[in-house]
Amino acid sequence: MRAWLLARKDLGVYLRDRIGMLLGFGLPIVLATVFGAAMGTFGGGSDSVGRVALAVEDRDGTKASADLLASLGEADGLRVWRIEIAGEDATTARAKVAEGDFPAGLLIPEGYGTAVAAGEVPPLTLYRDPGKEIEQQIVAGNLLPALFDAAGEALGHRMMLESLEWFEFPAALRDEAHAILEGTWDGMQTLVRDWEEDGAPAPAGTASGEGVDAGGEDAESRLDFGAVLTDALGLEVEDVVGGGDAARARRIASQAHAVAGIAVMMLLFGLVACGGTLLEERDGGTLDRLRLVPGAARAILGGKFLFTWVVGMAQLAVLFLYGRLIFDLPIFRAPVALAVLSTAVAAAATGFGVLFAVVSRSRKQLEGLSTLVILLMSALGGSWFPLVITPDWYRFLGHFTLTAWAMDAYQALFWYEQELADILPEIGILLAIAAATCAAAHLLWTRRQRA
Amino acid sequence: MASLPPIVVQTRGLTRRFGSLTAVDRLDLELRAGERLGLLGPNGAGKSTTIRILSTLLRPTAGEVAVLGLDPIGDGDRLRARIGVVPQELAVYEPLTGRQNLAFFGRLYGLSRGALDAAVAQGLALAGLAERADDLVSTYSGGMKRRLNLAAALLHAPELVFLDEPTVGIDPQSRNRVFEMVEALAANGVAMIYTSHQLGEVERLCDRIVILDHGRRVAEGTLAALQRHPAVARRGAASLSFAAAEDAARAAETLAAAGVPCALREDLPDLEEVFLALTGRALRDGGAA
Repeated sequence: MRAWLLARKDLGVYLRDRIGMLLGFGLPIVLATVFGAAMGTFGGGSDSVGRVALAVEDRDGTKASADLLASLGEADGLRVWRIEIAGEDATTARAKVAEGDFPAGLLIPEGYGTAVAAGEVPPLTLYRDPGKEIEQQIVAGNLLPALFDAAGEALGHRMMLESLEWFEFPAALRDEAHAILEGTWDGMQTLVRDWEEDGAPAPAGTASGEGVDAGGEDAESRLDFGAVLTDALGLEVEDVVGGGDAARARRIASQAHAVAGIAVMMLLFGLVACGGTLLEERDGGTLDRLRLVPGAARAILGGKFLFTWVVGMAQLAVLFLYGRLIFDLPIFRAPVALAVLSTAVAAAATGFGVLFAVVSRSRKQLEGLSTLVILLMSALGGSWFPLVITPDWYRFLGHFTLTAWAMDAYQALFWYEQELADILPEIGILLAIAAATCAAAHLLWTRRQRA
Repeated sequence: MASLPPIVVQTRGLTRRFGSLTAVDRLDLELRAGERLGLLGPNGAGKSTTIRILSTLLRPTAGEVAVLGLDPIGDGDRLRARIGVVPQELAVYEPLTGRQNLAFFGRLYGLSRGALDAAVAQGLALAGLAERADDLVSTYSGGMKRRLNLAAALLHAPELVFLDEPTVGIDPQSRNRVFEMVEALAANGVAMIYTSHQLGEVERLCDRIVILDHGRRVAEGTLAALQRHPAVARRGAASLSFAAAEDAARAAETLAAAGVPCALREDLPDLEEVFLALTGRALRDGGAA
């Protein structure tokens, strides 16, 4: 009975705590919605699945290469960008991948159209950023149908022969096996031609895809599907980031993302706590005492900003040093760029911290509001998972957060080995966020002080 | 005829509303240099709101205010340099020492190195905290924090001090030290406005008293004048004081013989006097006496 009385009292108190209710019930719903949307399952539709940007450099310029571009453009998982190969903006797909603008690039070399016309395997080069493993799987999975659509027969022929190597067919028997397969290939072509001419119904199972799926999962589970596919397509594959060691590159890329992601998220939490000292001063009465000092009222917010910013810089420095010691994070490769970027990131996060503190009427309100906004910004901005796996609209929305810009810039420094000049746009945006949040905090603060 | 000291605080029709609540309602107030004004009133009477307006922390909704001849809103910075405020809250930093607190506030007021050292030492001595000056405030007793709270408001030698219930929650020894600090200020000619629920404090420390209720001034005057206020029921009795108990007994007999009814009542100390007599006036929380 007493236990129930105590529980009922606590329930009553809990139900009156709006912030607690918001965190307990609202936040999980919001985060589940964000995660669902990020993974492309929002609304249950497939249109929202994230597309991977593929830079395509067409040096062939024939109808065959145009067909390939069109097929790639229709692929569900790709967003094709045609690289300018002439004029002032001329560049290469390789450069675009190396700079981190694209996770993958495809070079259609001169002679592609001729090779397709001759029934040969067309020469293509795929440039990859090995740090973006998920994207490479998506690219490989979408290249296959696109290439089949554009140059199907030559590729099918090639894949049939290549399959002997994938399944480690004994080398001594390969010539004989090739001859058998060539005969089978001719027979299959005749079969399809006859079927098309006779208008016969499709064999059972193929229309629904049942026959295609049978045994497919086993094959996939045994193989590195992305790697096998690129081999099968006859692609020349070049990893243009990470120094050629793909496994190491993937590890470094993951660690760089993890350290930067955690750094930015925890920075926001830490700085909101620092900004919260403003509320502590108010509740403790010292804020009024400070306001009673001539000229100090204007300096209070500036002082809080400076304090919070210094703490933020120290937090970042400690975390990056730890990243260097434990994960070999390349923090000394471009130290000036890293320092300038971290200054801007800390300033932007500080702006948020101070703004939250000014907006909030109580410590509890600050904690509720900041937890909600920071977790949302972290999810939207790519602290937890790469934005590339998210739909376009999600990525667009993500770049309204400071997290996304900070993550882009840190990735550019740690992974793509870019310099200060390359990340100036991101730094500019972060400083603009800092200026905007500080201005908003100042305006609100001034208005409240005049009350 | 000697001229009156100048007016240092003057309000006319001072009003402050918070939404539908009128905290201060058309208040007229006047304080002259060197005067000690007590603001008395129940909770919510408008005492703290009045002090916040006079000390530049709050804008009035209506009315006129002049403090030390300055407008608290328009001349805020100039006025703040000349006033001291002792808030109800313990507005000191607990993670700092007493000395660090005073030095911090002194620096904010722009005291030069020499003046700062002197002001801090004087503040610590006045508050009876010299021996615990380098201890963290978080280790101080409530009384020590209150005294530090008061000392922090006096570092820049203000001409006018507002004290908002400066003795809340402290022991009689500390309260006594606060009284001594206030009396020392008064002896130096510092004008002050003192709010309290403790009527005895106001009676002891203030020259003049204003009683507020529902934001309005309901009475004003010296204690003697208020005791004769028309709204106060008087018992119609009077008392005579005698130096010796035997004299009092003889006088009572004489009056009774003359047909004048009278009662003899011994003049006993109040409980605080008993307490201080038994425990002494020395501070008990580690501070210097």
